[in-house]
Amino acid sequence: MAKRNSSLNTDIPILETVRLSRSVRDGSGTKSVVDHFSFSFEKGCIYTIIGPSGAGKSSLLRLLNRLDEPTDGEILFGGKNTREYSPCPLRCLIGYLFQTPYLFPKTVRDNFLYADSELPSGTVESLAEQVQIPSSMIDRDVETLSIGEKQRVALARLLATDPEVVLLDEPTSALDPSYTESIEKLVKDIISRRTLTVIMVTHHPEQALRMGGETILMVAGRLVESGPCEKVITDPQSEAGRLYKAKQLK
Amino acid sequence: MTSPTITQVLLSLVLVAISIAVARWWRIPVAKDMALGSVRTFVQLIAVGYALELIFDLESLWLIALAILIMITVGAHAASSRIKQSEGAFQITFAAMIVGSLFTLVAMLLLDIIPLEARYVIPLAGMIISNSMNASALAIDRLVSDIQSNRPAIETALSLGKSWRVASGKFQRDAATTGMISILNFMKTVGIVALPGAMTGMILAGAEPLEAVLLQVIVAYMLLSSVTITSIVAVELTVRRFFTPFHQLR
Repeated sequence: MAKRNSSLNTDIPILETVRLSRSVRDGSGTKSVVDHFSFSFEKGCIYTIIGPSGAGKSSLLRLLNRLDEPTDGEILFGGKNTREYSPCPLRCLIGYLFQTPYLFPKTVRDNFLYADSELPSGTVESLAEQVQIPSSMIDRDVETLSIGEKQRVALARLLATDPEVVLLDEPTSALDPSYTESIEKLVKDIISRRTLTVIMVTHHPEQALRMGGETILMVAGRLVESGPCEKVITDPQSEAGRLYKAKQLK
Repeated sequence: MTSPTITQVLLSLVLVAISIAVARWWRIPVAKDMALGSVRTFVQLIAVGYALELIFDLESLWLIALAILIMITVGAHAASSRIKQSEGAFQITFAAMIVGSLFTLVAMLLLDIIPLEARYVIPLAGMIISNSMNASALAIDRLVSDIQSNRPAIETALSLGKSWRVASGKFQRDAATTGMISILNFMKTVGIVALPGAMTGMILAGAEPLEAVLLQVIVAYMLLSSVTITSIVAVELTVRRFFTPFHQLR
């Protein structure tokens, strides 16, 4: 298991991006998917990232997990440039939950042990309990699980790496409304139990309001507005924010 | 069997004519390929026959090496043209076939299994190279296809802090197995379902069956070695092209 970096200074942001940019080649040339994104994420806080489709929200999360390489700018984890970390242990500290969960074949237990084969005794059960998976399900074949159950297993598997930051990429987009509510509650519950920083991408401003914390509005790869979620969503100060509120950018 | 005459060769064209007629009757659009293939078989083998006579007469090490190099180059070209994503495939198949073929040939020479004479080295190299060619094409094709269709599984593993080698391990093993599958199947049924080529050739040339069998056993072990090494080297060289030094899937 990747151990938490207890030496991290609590006065400095847990995660910080400095003019973070990523460009990709497409049919018509080079497109900037994340454009000079600078922001400081504080330890133990929840952040929601909203914006229209193609705003670069998921691309930003992929950069933070180092699944993609920025073309410019920096990411600092605990004040240290992530380029100075080895990518594999860093990804344990900055966990990433995909929009559509992928579970490895076999059982729920096997998935937890895939994340960390040396989980201490009782941890599998504890992880399952944290995401409200009944103990009877731990040794079930993952193929028999519903999409909502799979998302919970994927979340618990992510927690098995003992992350400091959790990146959630539209974790409820594939779920029924009933599951959506329970996952939201679960995330808030986990934050209250562990001192986790959660950065969650969502398509729904209402969801950002339910999650609370701070909200970042992204448009065309750029950060256009950030602040308390109620303010950004209900009383945006920027023109792009007002347009988004009026759903013109959707 | 006495040495075949040109009349016998011409008479065997009756079988080609029957095959073409049957294909036409069934409206299988291969008649042209059959005709061209038959001509090519004749021309190529006659040319090789003259080339081998020259090489056997001169008994030059350089000529043996040149013949092997030409066989590997042509084999690598044929193998890479069968791979769907062919960018860089020639270099990979060439390198894999060089390593797999030369290792096996050199081992056989050092262990004094065969003498360093063109009469032994060239035909055995031909068998090794043609099997290595198929193995590398199958292994690379399988690996490329598996990695492309399993991005979620690989990126999930990477996001959980696994190295690229671990994240793609299953697909590497599956691809290497695919490369080896034909020799493994051959070894399962050899002598039961069919008498293999080398053995058949020796028997037709008048050798004692037991003598032919011993040579065939050596050939089978030799092919196992070259196919195994070629498959693994091909997979190893191919998989690296899919990942960045930061354990990111390209």
